Amino acid sequence: MSDKLTREEVLHVARLARIELNEEEIEKYQVQLKTLFNEVDKIKNVELKSDNKLIAPVMHTTKLREDVAGEMLEPEEIMKNVPVSNGNFVEVPVMINE
Amino acid sequence: MSKYLDLSIKEINELLKKKEIKPIDLVNEAFERIEANSNLNAFITLDKERAIEKAKSLEEKCVDNILFGIPIAVKDNIVTKDLRTTCASHILDNFIPIYDATVVEMINDKNMIIIGKTNMDEFAMGSTSQTSYFGAPKNPWDTTKISGGSSGGSAVAVSSRMVPLALGSDTGGSIRQPSSYCGIVGMKPTYGRVSRYGLVAFGSSLDQIGPMTRNVYENALLLNAICGRDDKDLTSSYEEVVDFTSKIGESISGMKIAIPNYFVSDIVSSEVKEKLDNVVSLLKENGALVDYIDIDYIENAVTLYQIIGMGEASSNLARFDGVRYGYSVNDPSSIDELYCKTRGEGFGEEVKRRIMVGSYLLSGSNADVYYTKALQIRNGIRESFKEAFEKYDLIIGPNATTTAYNLGEGLDDPLKTFLDDVLVFPANMAGLPGMNVPMGFGEGHLPIGLQIIGNSFDEVTMYKLASFIEEKLGLELDPREVK
Amino acid sequence: MSDYKKTIGIEIHCELNSNTKIFSNSINGYGKTANSNVNVVDLGYPGVLPTLNMEVIRLALKAALILNCEINKEMHFDRKNYFYPDNPKNYQITQLETPIGVNGWVEIEVNGQKKKIRIHDIHIEEDTCKSIHYKHHSFLDFNRAGVPLVEIVTEADITSSEEAMAYVEKLRELFLYADVSDCKIEEGSMRCDVNISISKTDEWGTRAEIKNIGSISNVGRAIEREAIRQEELIENGGSVVFATYRYDEKEDKTIMMRVKEAGNDYRYFPEPDIPFVVIDDNFIEDVRKSIPMLASERREKYVLAGISELNANKIIQNRSLSNYLNRFLDKDIDLVVASNLLLGDIAGYLNKTGALIDNTKLNDEKFITVVTKLSKGDINSKVFKDILDDLMESDSSVDEIISSKGIKIISDPNELKNIISTILSNNENSVNDYKSGNERAIKFLMGQIMKETKGSANPELVNKLLLEELNK
Repeated sequence: MSDKLTREEVLHVARLARIELNEEEIEKYQVQLKTLFNEVDKIKNVELKSDNKLIAPVMHTTKLREDVAGEMLEPEEIMKNVPVSNGNFVEVPVMINE
Repeated sequence: MSKYLDLSIKEINELLKKKEIKPIDLVNEAFERIEANSNLNAFITLDKERAIEKAKSLEEKCVDNILFGIPIAVKDNIVTKDLRTTCASHILDNFIPIYDATVVEMINDKNMIIIGKTNMDEFAMGSTSQTSYFGAPKNPWDTTKISGGSSGGSAVAVSSRMVPLALGSDTGGSIRQPSSYCGIVGMKPTYGRVSRYGLVAFGSSLDQIGPMTRNVYENALLLNAICGRDDKDLTSSYEEVVDFTSKIGESISGMKIAIPNYFVSDIVSSEVKEKLDNVVSLLKENGALVDYIDIDYIENAVTLYQIIGMGEASSNLARFDGVRYGYSVNDPSSIDELYCKTRGEGFGEEVKRRIMVGSYLLSGSNADVYYTKALQIRNGIRESFKEAFEKYDLIIGPNATTTAYNLGEGLDDPLKTFLDDVLVFPANMAGLPGMNVPMGFGEGHLPIGLQIIGNSFDEVTMYKLASFIEEKLGLELDPREVK
Repeated sequence: MSDYKKTIGIEIHCELNSNTKIFSNSINGYGKTANSNVNVVDLGYPGVLPTLNMEVIRLALKAALILNCEINKEMHFDRKNYFYPDNPKNYQITQLETPIGVNGWVEIEVNGQKKKIRIHDIHIEEDTCKSIHYKHHSFLDFNRAGVPLVEIVTEADITSSEEAMAYVEKLRELFLYADVSDCKIEEGSMRCDVNISISKTDEWGTRAEIKNIGSISNVGRAIEREAIRQEELIENGGSVVFATYRYDEKEDKTIMMRVKEAGNDYRYFPEPDIPFVVIDDNFIEDVRKSIPMLASERREKYVLAGISELNANKIIQNRSLSNYLNRFLDKDIDLVVASNLLLGDIAGYLNKTGALIDNTKLNDEKFITVVTKLSKGDINSKVFKDILDDLMESDSSVDEIISSKGIKIISDPNELKNIISTILSNNENSVNDYKSGNERAIKFLMGQIMKETKGSANPELVNKLLLEELNK
């Protein structure tokens, strides 16, 4: 078993995460990600006593909210943090695939 | 120079009530101390102007609670309206929130005074605070050592007596471990005890905000002030909130305490074990029963933490995309470029690593192989703890396998950060409360901490034991006194 | 006729009629101003958490019950992770493992044949934000972000465009009637995705997904066009690619948008921020009781009362008129006359004034009186037109209105006989025409009599007396 991922494997997970990596990072992550992947593989050898899952350690059930409107933001307040805005809209490069 | 901030909160409260001092005196002193200790790099952002303003406005008000006017530091992953909140990341280094976290509202309601936002590992991912975009904080006991993490800045600010109170957050030990390294008291409450609304999510099913303080009593006071059901957080609990100071000082005679064998195995250094043994003797001498037990799957907690923590993180941090707030690359030619460059440039190395691993673990059939199985094992750990708590009142052990190590160490080892926290993950997995109370010093006079794990929502019993140990050991926990 | 069989499955998204969004308390409604119905939760701000709207659960449960689904009484939500600018958190909260309803069915009817379309599941999720595209940029409006949706997924039971259209129409009708959703397909509150493959054997072919079809008739056309496209492709030795298409109405063809990536790329996992939601039996019963009489039942009752299928359907399409008519289902009145009034002059009045029938003065007593008078011939349709405004707007009774208008209904045979004699003597030519076998002459004579009486004569009586006179 190789001790590092291929370039393509690193680029694949980087793509899933929408993270651009430079050459130096790709090389570093080829080793580091492999180390972590091997580490999490340990779970495969764990024997289960039951297949009940714990999604979150919460013992109560969801309390539903009444359908009553609360406060909303002014568009100007929203736009203060928006990197590129246009009037009351948030602007992004054109979305393809629509 | 005044030394009001060396007094206990009770004493400060008396002086405030008698109008012998004003909140502004405390605020000024806090900023003097922060400036004098700027080399420790405990804070990312100070809120001096508003703190002074708030202190002055309090002069008109009645001192109506014990935390009135007390300066407090807030970890920089808890959002504060109109006050920069960075999560120690480039991607949020200019981010000004437009709402307050629920805990921040509660702090303001009690008229505590927020001094500033503390340094931390980027997005709380790390065990040393060295992944901060703003550089690592330094350990007040030895500035060549790490503070621990991820709530390193909060631990340093309290330990060095800049402020008496701080908030941290704990996803996999991030309150307990730096508290252990810096010699303070830190509590990760039961999952659901404190509202997470406004805590920038890392591992949603693990994260919990908690108090970090100089001593046990003040820790309980701060927890009193920040917990309770919050309808904005569906996971926040309906459990009745008791006065967490109420059992402090009670006898521990007859208490049943367990130590998981894993907590005293080879992974723990001998000096840490030695301190734990001292504590065990002390407990037995005072009428407590101490047993060694096994907890199912406890040795798998690191793997579970990696899978659940990184999986949740990869999803939680997807929102940082340069569209609605935060850092955004200039003039991207496409959506893909906007995403990939913003995130590539905005996140640091550790964060990118964890997001990538988390994405991989959830992709395609991996979700079943890793994630579903991790949730099943997680249930097993919780069940096993539950059984233990049918027989025992508390579980103890160390928080860290060693004392604080050198700054700069282990940065290129992607596993070290996880192995540092091997003893603190289990409580997060099971949602149980866990705390640190100092139990001694190791080589180089570096603090060693005791971990106390309680049953769900039984923080009050943990404070009882912690205060007993604090009192019996009588350690000098002010690093300035030792130098 | 092609020997390829079509296999079709349909996914429909419907926005639910709640006041507020699913996971936040901002308003569920398209604000006039972009980004004005928005709070930090809708924007996916750092640190925010979802809450869960009770009304959304109620409406989704109602929908699941109407679709005859088994209810998941302990359900949770899941995160569907994908990066897209209209998806504020870059994950969508939806239900994968425990959809609120599973294993349901809907009955449709095509050419008199009834058929059950099985529902695989109905699940709850949040809507994305709206985007407008101009040149090299897109503009985002988060008002729609977090609007509650249910998605209804059928089994691949549909075999023709007619069945597909009937299914969509049926679902629309059901949800509209139960007040679950506006179901305005043209405005996007109901969205329709069709999966279609063709095959000569029992084995399914590779499917294409046609996204977001803009009307029910286009559902039919898109299926026909896509089936032809696939058939031509296969016949020419090609093969269908697993891809997403859209239907272009102007060109009347399906156009490929993107090839589907293989396998699950959505990195689903259970949503940790929302604990289990428990739906107890009392809640289910409450919701079940709140479901009004549905369209199919109404249709049956109307047709049984003698209303034509065409008119029955017209009434059903207008829910407030249908609800109004239902108030008289067990009353002793002529429902055919009643339905004609509602669809004719009354609908005209409502259109003209913009009023809702429930807000007019046409109470049950007045409606019963007026329908009875019409069916007995005590008044005719001209009189009805004359008194309509007063019926709708005044508190007076029908008789008071009629007399206040100075309208006299001539039902006295002797009085009518006199008038008829005068008309007949003035129109001898027509009388001769009739006698020489021209039946149409009678219509002319009737008209003359009605003119003379200014429409106040009872037409049935006139007809009877006229024939008597002519045949003497």
